Amino acid sequence: MKSLVQRVLTSPVAGLLMVILLLGTILTLFAGSHVDRRTGLEVNNFLNSNTLVQTATDASFFAIMAVGATFVIISGGIDLSVGSVYALAGVTMALALRALAPSSDAATVLIGLAICVSVGLVCGALNGLMVVSLPVHPFVITLGTMWILRGLAFVISRAESILVPAPLTAMAKASLGLTETLYPVPMLMMIAAAIVGMIYLERTVMGRHIFAFGGNPEASRFAGLRLGRIQMGVFVVSSLTAGLAAFLGASFYGSASCGDAAGYELYVIASAVVGGASLTGGKGSAISAMLGALLIVLIRQSIRTLRLDQNYEWIVIGCAIIIAVVLDQGSARVAARRLVAAPTGGTR
Amino acid sequence: MTEPRRTLRWALAALTAVLAACSGAPPSPAPAGEASPAAAAGVKKKIKIALIAKSSTNPVFLAARTGAEAAARELGPKNGVEIEVAWLTPPQEDGQVQAQRIAQAVNEGADAIVLSCSDAGKVTGAINDAVGRGLAVMTFDSDAPQSKRFTFYGVDDLKTGQATMAELATQMGGKGKVAVLQGNQNAPNLQKRVQGVREEAAKHPGIEIVGVFPNIETPQDAAAEVIRVNNAYPEIQGWAMVGGWPLFTRTLLDEIDPKRMKIVAVDALPVELPYVEKGLAPVLLAQPVYLWGYTSVSTIVDKLVLNKTVPERLPMELVRVSKENLGDWARQLKAWGFTDVPEKYLQMGASPK
Repeated sequence: MKSLVQRVLTSPVAGLLMVILLLGTILTLFAGSHVDRRTGLEVNNFLNSNTLVQTATDASFFAIMAVGATFVIISGGIDLSVGSVYALAGVTMALALRALAPSSDAATVLIGLAICVSVGLVCGALNGLMVVSLPVHPFVITLGTMWILRGLAFVISRAESILVPAPLTAMAKASLGLTETLYPVPMLMMIAAAIVGMIYLERTVMGRHIFAFGGNPEASRFAGLRLGRIQMGVFVVSSLTAGLAAFLGASFYGSASCGDAAGYELYVIASAVVGGASLTGGKGSAISAMLGALLIVLIRQSIRTLRLDQNYEWIVIGCAIIIAVVLDQGSARVAARRLVAAPTGGTR
Repeated sequence: MTEPRRTLRWALAALTAVLAACSGAPPSPAPAGEASPAAAAGVKKKIKIALIAKSSTNPVFLAARTGAEAAARELGPKNGVEIEVAWLTPPQEDGQVQAQRIAQAVNEGADAIVLSCSDAGKVTGAINDAVGRGLAVMTFDSDAPQSKRFTFYGVDDLKTGQATMAELATQMGGKGKVAVLQGNQNAPNLQKRVQGVREEAAKHPGIEIVGVFPNIETPQDAAAEVIRVNNAYPEIQGWAMVGGWPLFTRTLLDEIDPKRMKIVAVDALPVELPYVEKGLAPVLLAQPVYLWGYTSVSTIVDKLVLNKTVPERLPMELVRVSKENLGDWARQLKAWGFTDVPEKYLQMGASPK
């Protein structure tokens, strides 16, 4: 029986964490330093609480979506509409709060959250319903809804950038007892979303059904799993996390517009894939998706912190994704060969 | 199963190591030179200015960057300070990413931020945080008027829209159907310009606006949008473009007959000059985009080094570019560091201003 340390060290999460720590170390060594205006002390340009929390905050919005997208990817599907759900949820919330003008801060936050979650639920149900009932690949369905939902956001917002009420920003930028320039709420929400996603996927029967469906839909059908319900569920979860991210994003930045999160779907999918999710289904992890998002943001950050030409950003991220997927597929082939070669049982 | 995964992680680690290797040595501290007037006055010897424009794929902002770097080279030694301009512009327009870049600039010790806002609502909080932490923040081109930035440098967008429409109406003899090219519909400065176009059009009874068309602010996307609209509305005789995006390609020179249609656009970069020569865009209203960078850095020096009082608004005047002053304008662009000014325009004789 493997010891806890062994299990931790050989887990996929450990590898990803190692890369993040290594990159963080490199950034710390090469980032240079500056004199902090408030304290007068020399601080490292990367290894300081503000930059670390800011990096996590930057990652949090699409990391939360990546947790939901991982559900879809594990099931063998893909969801391109998350960026548009984010935009629609954000502008719907901002418009509704402008119209309702709730009297108390708590009511503002709760109504805002309820609206974003509701928009996410409706969009997810729409995606799921079409994927289940129409003989069309989820790629096409969600490609269509990506534009439909973005267009809806455009029409209802009239391309305005709509300010959200101050209590929402106060909530998203609460320092929670830390220095007043630190805003840990998005980071904590990201960690919470990843933990809930991990527990659901790895510790519940419904979660294991998603792996079973993604790994072998035919076998799942013969095993009596309700495939339509599983597919519907993963798209609802995906859009739900997009709604949650929109709530946080609009609150944190103080406004919502129809152009929000344009192109984020690709970062979201990339985060899940870099985190080890297989686009062929059956494999993925919510925690790894979060770490994948952190790694992508860290790569983006490193390009600027190391003063590289930032025009290389897309090239570097593209290379990282291709390397991740190619090696991941290689690992799947090796695992399959070992499984075949092993006289008894597999190598897992 | 774990070995290949380990390989994957090490490959990614190698990638990051390559990144680090590319970075070279960490920035060295400013050399301890002789006491300059700035040092004598107790001013910091080095100023780091973060320049955050809307998009690094838009040529007008590259010109602003050139201007900012030229100002840093020129004004630094003159005032005894080392001025570093850090280019933190996102590759694509995204107010959220701009807010993130503002936070990054603060965390990495910038002294000032110069910003053109993609979405004023999105960046206002980040600007206020930066000001709260002691940075001097100013905007150019596109403002965030509700924020705590200390000044804005740019054209009056309402008047720019009005001037665009007034020129187009003149070119069209006061009658005809026109379309308006808007660019990013979320950008507050462009919304103001469109408002100006509408207000001016209302003063010309013979002019009818058939539609306002947003576009992705890349040359190809913008040119494609113009062609699509022209196909859908063959009655269009003029375009009021509140930004020059489609004219950053030569596409429309081949697609549109100058006898049938006229264009008046804001901006006059080197690549747009053939449109003036051919008469398709008989008038361009140039924003001296180089000055966005140059004047902004100069203003930061005024505020941080020379302790001058800076007004809340620094107006930028448009330059009317037509066949009459094409040579003068081409030479001005060349003097500002543009390397792609066609030689034939540089040779055009000076004309009365």
